[in-house]
Amino acid sequence: MRLLLVEDHVPLADELIAALGRQGYAVDWLADGRDAVYQGATEPYDLIVLDLGLPGKPGLEVLREWRAGGLATPVLILTARGSWAERIEGLKAGADDYLTKPFHPEELALRLQALARRAHGLANQPQLEAAGLQLDEGRQCVTRDGEQIELTSAEFRLLRYFMLHPGQILSKGQLADHLYDGESERDSNVLEVHVNRLRGKLGREVIETRRGQGYRYAGVGA
Amino acid sequence: MRSIQRRLSLGLAGVLVVVGLILAQSSLWLFDHSLRRYLREDLEDETQTLLIALVRGQNGVQLDERRLDPTFQRPFSGHYFRIDFGDETWRSRSLWDRSLQPPAKEGLQDGLGDGPQGQRLLVFRADYRRFGQTFSINVAQDYTPILQGFRRLQWLGLALGGGALLLILLAQRYTVRVALRPLERVRGQIAQLQQGRRSELDSQVPQELEPLVGQINRLLSHTEETLRRSRNALGNLGHALKTPLAVLVSLSERQDLRDQPELQATLREQLTQIQQRLERELGRARLAGEALPGAHFDCAAELPGLFSTLGMIHSHGLKLDWQAAPGLCLPWDREDLLELLGNLLDNACKWADAEVCLSLAEEGDAYRLWVDDDGPGIAPQRRADVLGRGTRLDEQVAGHGLGLGIVRDIVDAWGGTLSLEDSPLGGLRVVVRLPKNSSVA
Repeated sequence: MRLLLVEDHVPLADELIAALGRQGYAVDWLADGRDAVYQGATEPYDLIVLDLGLPGKPGLEVLREWRAGGLATPVLILTARGSWAERIEGLKAGADDYLTKPFHPEELALRLQALARRAHGLANQPQLEAAGLQLDEGRQCVTRDGEQIELTSAEFRLLRYFMLHPGQILSKGQLADHLYDGESERDSNVLEVHVNRLRGKLGREVIETRRGQGYRYAGVGA
Repeated sequence: MRSIQRRLSLGLAGVLVVVGLILAQSSLWLFDHSLRRYLREDLEDETQTLLIALVRGQNGVQLDERRLDPTFQRPFSGHYFRIDFGDETWRSRSLWDRSLQPPAKEGLQDGLGDGPQGQRLLVFRADYRRFGQTFSINVAQDYTPILQGFRRLQWLGLALGGGALLLILLAQRYTVRVALRPLERVRGQIAQLQQGRRSELDSQVPQELEPLVGQINRLLSHTEETLRRSRNALGNLGHALKTPLAVLVSLSERQDLRDQPELQATLREQLTQIQQRLERELGRARLAGEALPGAHFDCAAELPGLFSTLGMIHSHGLKLDWQAAPGLCLPWDREDLLELLGNLLDNACKWADAEVCLSLAEEGDAYRLWVDDDGPGIAPQRRADVLGRGTRLDEQVAGHGLGLGIVRDIVDAWGGTLSLEDSPLGGLRVVVRLPKNSSVA
């Protein structure tokens, strides 16, 4: 899951990047509103966390431009401006959720998870469930038939992305785009290794290979 | 308005009555005066006629009856004479058994003399010398018909004057009303302003009112601008304090600190206190209170936005609903009311199982707000505690606290009341009663 963090306060951004990284997000960080307008619209992000008081361009303006340009990525506004009038303003500009500073890191994690599920039509689920598997995003482990299976960070990221797109064919390029941030090196062999490890833990049928097209999450017993 | 009208009417009526009476009375007096002067000449002529009628006969001086005006012969005809010479006094027949009091000196008597049958007489005396004797000839004429004419004229004048006064007053009333209509319109607009049905006064007013209306509008926009600026400054302050606070909160959750639970607990507690205090004070400082007379909250325009925001934040399939009379407008600042409703509804959403309902209504001289939820509710004996201490209603549910504290601040600032009841939905009903703007008489 690729996440764009737009926040101009460096210490907070450092904290967030570290926390979000631990939660398996590939985070790109920007501090300037003008850069955010461009990069948010060109890179394939799955989630955006947006601060409102930004240098260059106010956050609400950035959001409006994204929405006017047809960007549908879920945006969570993270701001110190917590009055209801400002929240409504944020929603009208096209935000999907609103969290006021100071916030509990856990709260942010839960809201981002809920936002991702909602964006993929999986609302009203306390946990990510798809085709027989339940993913605990907090503890980064998966439950199959009541049996808990631990995952490495890389496996967790990959499985989460698959489970958010059940039944869809995902090319290697697409997977790489959404699993690695803009600065990591992309090696499709590494991806293959992680897919194989997941198959080893969950069973071969969980992820199908479509030759020349990519992978498809089929789940278990579906 | 009414007082200006009444004052103008009274003033005008007073002036008109005084001037009218003086004018009428003095013209009557002038008329009376010139009439008497005219009659005086007639009377003088008559004395000369009488003088000529005096002839010397066998018994001394006699009055030649043939030369006399017949009206002197007819009793009480209104024309009388009395001639005094030597020891003798002659009276006209018309006087019958009455005498005529001669004036003290020659010429027209100053006042009117008494005559027979209640007549009022204009008396003229002329002294002549003839036949070696002094004749004092007094001629009188009844002035009563003329006095009666005057009285009639006075009544007529009074009636006409009264009618004219009434007409003038009515016309003046109409004129004043027309002239004061812009003032009345401004008054109405100010009332609307107080009720929150308009945000500024119409600037299309007569020249005389322009400075007043302009000044009021300037004050309004100045207040609004000041409020906006101070809110902006508070927002910036909040931003500047809350962002580092967010860093600290995040740091306090670090793995390194988990090994030192006591330190972490203290840190968390202190950070929570700072955060609560900050939220509360910033929230309080943001309140517009009663500062803005033009403020208003259009339910139909604002509530859908608030409810979709709530729906977005509480995305676990709650049924959110609101009811208000069509076109209901509350006369308070939009941001304050959004804060009030947002916090109440947010609390309700956190506790509700499936349904939250807001109902707004106008009740006599107050507005009534109900926020209902179908959650667990609060036991009646605990309600006073919850309200009294302004404790967090949402201690067990994650999220920003202090909702009720800010709600209390807002309700207090508007002189309203806050109470908790059982909801027909099964949970808690928060009742807020806000008196209509107390500054509107």
